[in-house]
Amino acid sequence: MSVLGQVALVGDVWRYLTATSSWGGDRGLGALVRAHLWISLVSTVAAVGLAVPPAVWLAHRRRLPLLSVALVNVGRAVPSFAIVAFVFPLSIRYGFGLGFWPTCVALVALGVPPIFTNTYAGVAGVAPDVVEAARGVGMTDRQVLAGVELPLALPLILTGLRLSAVQITATATLGAFVGYECLGTPILQGLARGVAGRPQLVGGALLVIAAALATDAVIGRIIPRVVRWPSGLR
Amino acid sequence: MGAESGGVAVSIRDLTKQYPGAPTPAVRNLSLDVAAGEVVALVGPSGCGKTTTLKMINRLIEPTSGTIQVLGRDQAELPVHELRRAIGYVIQQIGLFPHRTVAANVGVVPGLLGWPKARIAERVAELLALVGLPADAGSRYPSELSGGQQQRVGVARALAADPPILLMDEPYSAVDPLVRARLQDDLLALQAQVGKTIVIVTHDIDEAIKLGDRVAILAEGGVLAQYDTPDELLRAPADEFVAAFLGRERSLRRLGLRRVGEVRSEPAATVAVRATTAEALGAAEGMGARWVLVIDGDAEPVGLVAVADLRHHSRSGAAGRTVGEGLEPDRRPPVVDSTWPLREVLDAVLRSGSGGALVDDASPARCVITLDALAEALR
Repeated sequence: MSVLGQVALVGDVWRYLTATSSWGGDRGLGALVRAHLWISLVSTVAAVGLAVPPAVWLAHRRRLPLLSVALVNVGRAVPSFAIVAFVFPLSIRYGFGLGFWPTCVALVALGVPPIFTNTYAGVAGVAPDVVEAARGVGMTDRQVLAGVELPLALPLILTGLRLSAVQITATATLGAFVGYECLGTPILQGLARGVAGRPQLVGGALLVIAAALATDAVIGRIIPRVVRWPSGLR
Repeated sequence: MGAESGGVAVSIRDLTKQYPGAPTPAVRNLSLDVAAGEVVALVGPSGCGKTTTLKMINRLIEPTSGTIQVLGRDQAELPVHELRRAIGYVIQQIGLFPHRTVAANVGVVPGLLGWPKARIAERVAELLALVGLPADAGSRYPSELSGGQQQRVGVARALAADPPILLMDEPYSAVDPLVRARLQDDLLALQAQVGKTIVIVTHDIDEAIKLGDRVAILAEGGVLAQYDTPDELLRAPADEFVAAFLGRERSLRRLGLRRVGEVRSEPAATVAVRATTAEALGAAEGMGARWVLVIDGDAEPVGLVAVADLRHHSRSGAAGRTVGEGLEPDRRPPVVDSTWPLREVLDAVLRSGSGGALVDDASPARCVITLDALAEALR
């Protein structure tokens, strides 16, 4: 593409992203952003729910330390797109429909490993003398977990959550391939329309990037409000 | 202290701990009583089972066999967390909760016991003052304090619910020697106020001797080698192992344990430098003194002379010489008071070369402590 063509593309993308007509309506960018953020939120919350309890329990008991390492490696290796493709027919067969659920399963699978690993490392990494002191002053097992190990692991857990949430938001784009209308949709449509669809493709991609960065920034703002002690985490 | 009044606080009987897979027990058939209000130091080389023993008292480690009674009750009968809430616990790494403020750290046991908030806050303020921390330290986080201050917080936390018993596991080995000495002094001062039963584990024999009313020396494999007062240990070590562990300066260490006020000082006759040998002898014999303290025109002591020496001079025809002439220069006897440890008195006497020290107390007669008296104190 010529330099002129690139300049023209920037202008076209700008016009696409700023036109009122692009944003309005049931299938406009506004609705797509909301759907994109919604599936990301649901998937992140589900990933936390699935990853944190077993990780906390295993780490508290100091069991299966290698699992946490193995899980994150597997998590990195499995392509999310393959999961979507695998779950898609199952979801249809068992009546969960297309779109939302197959995408959600893939995103949860993507989000679990960092949260699991960080939670495990956070709880297992609490200084042994602090745990001994907690037992020594007469805390019950549950009080040690809830009052000492979990709060001390919180900075790492939240770091894992932040990582997962950003990855999930960026990857939710995949939903468009199985009929979930999100910020992947303009990318897919733009692709189908060839050169004429380029502004739409690039504009959609920019919005995905913006959504992921915004997610990162929002969680980054929340963490210091939750972790008020000097944990070395900014 | 409460040793006579309160009976036995901790009674250990035939205690054995065999760790799975270890060839020999960590602690073997240990029996030991700790009197109420007493400070007992468990000391020994690494691998002697002293920390294991301590942790069996609050059941952080479960014994393989044997019993431990705490305040007359078998500690295995109590739920373990209740037992621990009744026993203060201080560890070497301090183990403060980094996510809680100093006040919350100190108030943790009262909180577990369900005290009302206002009473906890009151108690926390009281404890911070007791261990010598500024009141505003309560709102800070442990990482914002120095190592010595953190250790004080650790002690305050252990004392929070006023437990009758305090267990301390090498509490001062992580701080530098200057801070350690001050924390040890503070603990002794604190103990004079609170009168707890304290079991302290240390690998430092000097610390054990300084802090312990009694010292239990454990040999490798958790065998009790000797259990006695520091003075008795130093005077009569039970065997080669104990003697070697106590080191070669046993007598000096014993002197370090006793103070001027605890030994007999003897009155000395006071004479001016211009007095003749005959006059000085007369003054000494008049009061039956063995020593003559020579003072200058400002009543400052300038020398110490043995009556035996004066007699010798007198017989050899120097009865008319002044005592001042017989003195060697720069041998002023040091002036000590009744709180001085004898070890420091000995040091001062040796440095002055005067043969004795003048005791500065309220009595009108001038009294001295001589090298003979120091040797006598070690008998």
